[in-house]
Amino acid sequence: MRRRLGWGFWLALGWIALVLAGAAAADLLPLPRYDETLAGPPQSGPGPDHPFGTDGLGRDVLSRVVYGARVSLGVGVGAVVLGLLIGAPLGVLAGYRRRATDAVIMGFNDVALAFPALVFALAVVAFAGASLVNVLIVLGVLGVPAWVRLVRGATMVFSEREFVAAARVLGARDRTVLWREIVPNVSLPVASYAFIGMAVAIVAEGSLAFLGLSVQAPTPTWGGLINEGRPLMENAPHVVLVPSVVMFLTVLAFNLLGDRLRALTDVRQSGLEPVRRRRADRLPAQPHHVEEGVLLQVADLRTHFTTVRGTVRAVDGVSFTLERGRTLAIVGESGSGKSMLIRSILGLAPDAGTLRGGSVYLDGQDLTELDGEQLRRILGTRLAAVFQDPMTALNPVRTIGAQVMEPLTVHLGMKRGAARARAAELLASVGIPEPARALRRYPHQLSGGMRQRVTIAMALSCGPDVLFADEPTTALDVTVQDQVLRLIRRQREERHMAVVLVSHDLSVVAEWADEVIVMYAGKVVERGPAATLFERTRMPYTEALLRAVPKLTDPAHHPLRLLPGRPPDLAAPPSGCAFHPRCPYARERCTQEEPPLFQAEVPDHLYACWYPVGTGAGVVETSGISGTAEALKAAETTGADETTDAIEGADSRGR
Amino acid sequence: MILRLVRLLLVLLVVTFLSYLLLNLLPGDPTTQILGLSASEEAREQLRRELSLDDPLFTRYLAWLGELVAGDLGTSYTTSVPVTEALAERLPVTLELLVAAQLVALGLALPIGVAAARRAGRPLDQVLTALSFGLLSTPVFVLGVLLILVFAVKWQVLPATGWTPISLDLGWNLTSVLLPAVTLGCAQTAVYARLLRTDLIATLQEDYITLARARGLSPRRILWRHALRPSAISLVTAVGLNLGALIGGAVIIETLFGLPGVGRLIVDSIFARDYLTVQGGVVLISVGYVLVNFAVDLVYVAVDPRIRRA
Ligand code: SF4
Repeated sequence: MRRRLGWGFWLALGWIALVLAGAAAADLLPLPRYDETLAGPPQSGPGPDHPFGTDGLGRDVLSRVVYGARVSLGVGVGAVVLGLLIGAPLGVLAGYRRRATDAVIMGFNDVALAFPALVFALAVVAFAGASLVNVLIVLGVLGVPAWVRLVRGATMVFSEREFVAAARVLGARDRTVLWREIVPNVSLPVASYAFIGMAVAIVAEGSLAFLGLSVQAPTPTWGGLINEGRPLMENAPHVVLVPSVVMFLTVLAFNLLGDRLRALTDVRQSGLEPVRRRRADRLPAQPHHVEEGVLLQVADLRTHFTTVRGTVRAVDGVSFTLERGRTLAIVGESGSGKSMLIRSILGLAPDAGTLRGGSVYLDGQDLTELDGEQLRRILGTRLAAVFQDPMTALNPVRTIGAQVMEPLTVHLGMKRGAARARAAELLASVGIPEPARALRRYPHQLSGGMRQRVTIAMALSCGPDVLFADEPTTALDVTVQDQVLRLIRRQREERHMAVVLVSHDLSVVAEWADEVIVMYAGKVVERGPAATLFERTRMPYTEALLRAVPKLTDPAHHPLRLLPGRPPDLAAPPSGCAFHPRCPYARERCTQEEPPLFQAEVPDHLYACWYPVGTGAGVVETSGISGTAEALKAAETTGADETTDAIEGADSRGR
Repeated sequence: MILRLVRLLLVLLVVTFLSYLLLNLLPGDPTTQILGLSASEEAREQLRRELSLDDPLFTRYLAWLGELVAGDLGTSYTTSVPVTEALAERLPVTLELLVAAQLVALGLALPIGVAAARRAGRPLDQVLTALSFGLLSTPVFVLGVLLILVFAVKWQVLPATGWTPISLDLGWNLTSVLLPAVTLGCAQTAVYARLLRTDLIATLQEDYITLARARGLSPRRILWRHALRPSAISLVTAVGLNLGALIGGAVIIETLFGLPGVGRLIVDSIFARDYLTVQGGVVLISVGYVLVNFAVDLVYVAVDPRIRRA
């Protein structure tokens, strides 16, 4: 707890404690009274008798600031308590009851929030009289709407959680549920906002006092002291500076406390964010041989991230080649590194905390050696990408036309008119009706399938040689999926380009791909021609993936078949073969030695396994480390591992 | 749209009603408060009739509202100037201050927010974030005093107080509005820069930004054409919502820098016990605030295609 709050928190707490103690014990301190005139010579600077000097009437500045803290802190704390006392019950009621109660309370609240608060406070104090009580009441009441909103929000979040729902179902009385379950849970956000509210109230009281509309003289207040010091600014700036600095520090301290407490409720940090230290470093790569006449060659590609929890090997030594007119499929569970592989090939992996290695050759030219400008030219014209979710792949605030035309004008140097005509052709070629009209529309006006067609049209706009499609159909309806895949295949044939298709859906892969790469924990574990790989599977992981494919013989609404076990934690992958904790054939050797890629009997078919299936090697012993039945049970109770998903997300999180 | 209008009317009714209610907060006999202790019994009786103090509250409010709509806020008993006239004379100053402050705030926040977002987590971002936090914690009058101390007292490059109307001399007008506008705009700068930074960081992680990079577009083009636009739209709402804080600050700034605006008029009138003028000023500010927020809402709908319905 201490470390997460940070030293700023404790410093701020210390300062507030100091000011509070000073205000409370002001009468006991060896200070002249705040209203004692000529305690020293007027307007004298800081000295031994008066550490912060004296004001125009020779009163001790330190003493006045200490006494002034009574009003400032008193109003700050008092206003928050008052606002909370009125606002919290209303907020809990609105958040817990919902419906009519909620609507009424929030309706009032919205109206109340539509006020310029300080002006109203000013007017009320002006009419009702400037006194401590009036100031406190006004500031407290003006804080109510914010409290209602905050408490309502927090209550709503928690009353939806299972434990509250469960308590309700069990018939617990509403009041019991409120006190036992909700109140403890909303207290942290409330505490956080209480400190910020105090800062706000202190500033507001200071503003009123500065205008002469808070507690009246001779009682000192910080705002009043600053106002008094103004005419002396030229000769005795300390008179105005001391209360200014004290006030600033106090407000800062309260804000800091609130901010740090709020950060505590933030659970976004998982320890897997890339550590931002330096720009990308290179990893040493295996020596390899650049093949001639091949369109795309990926050689020993590595992308590692330095995180708080250690090095995450998201892509770890992947190699393959791809010819024109062919489709390569990359399969694996989410978190296996397949999306990161695509981004690494395209140079889109985040920069910070990243270690890279290996090469990507396009027609023999190493893309990893290019500078930004050169790479951008190739990205725009020769390589293209389509991502999974068409809802997020298009910029929501730019028209389809602006987005489709952009690569045409930027990379091909087309004039606007020509680009517009070409964009319309492109949209027509991917099957979008009324392309000229579609150009003027915004993404949200199109359906998901239409949007994915648009992203494909954009990807194809400059006539790429390789199209990278990262799960292009996963987010779409089944009927639309097939259309989109057909579209990609037709374009591949017409343009004689190569396609890299990332998918976790093996039925799709079997139908559309020529070659297949199976990835596990950032590595290639099996690779080969599609037909061979599915018929003569060697790697147990591939076998497990194949088993998980829904079959036509499954009854309708059959629960999704899950792979037994959890995907590996990439920050701490298992020793030896990374698949061994989930592998039914695993033996002693698998836990210690990592299997290299073996050549199967069919040329170009490679697998990484000591005891490959279908060869008899795997059934000699039956004492597997984890039996399938147990693993399946584990999978049912745990589900997918979140930490590996975080890695998949890392590519979009960093830059 | 109809709903919005109904809501606007409702809010306006509540705001004006509360402003009217202010007079009832006066302790004791309002006529004594307004006219002073020395006022004659006849004068009080006349005021009593003018304000129809014997009628029930709601009737009085409706009558007052009718006059308000007609543009009549009464005549000050202290200065004998119609309140509407006094306000109209002061309004341009306040408007200029507010607009200048917003320009300063947005002008500073844009580069700061963009710079911080592009280097999120690196030293420059941390420094800018800490600075914003500090600025947010500085009360506007403290900042004003400090700026006066530095620019007007120490370096003597800008005037500490005074106002030259725009009709008299544009150059001097700008000089006199510069320091107040910077003071008022600074706190907003922190608010806007923070907002822009957070929004921009989120936007830069969107798929459409990664895909724009995959299309080989330059980082600068991506930032300005692709990322800034959705983020700028969120900023529009913030500008409206922060107007309340800005108006509150304007009252203080006008007093601090001696600018003859509405805020100063209200404060001066408070001390002169010129209650009708105070009330008029409050009505003007709150109604103006509600109307501007309404307009911002409309602008928001107009510029964001995500909520604009085809
Ligand atoms: S048999 Fe051994 S080497 Fe092969 S996949 Fe299973 S654990 Fe890995």
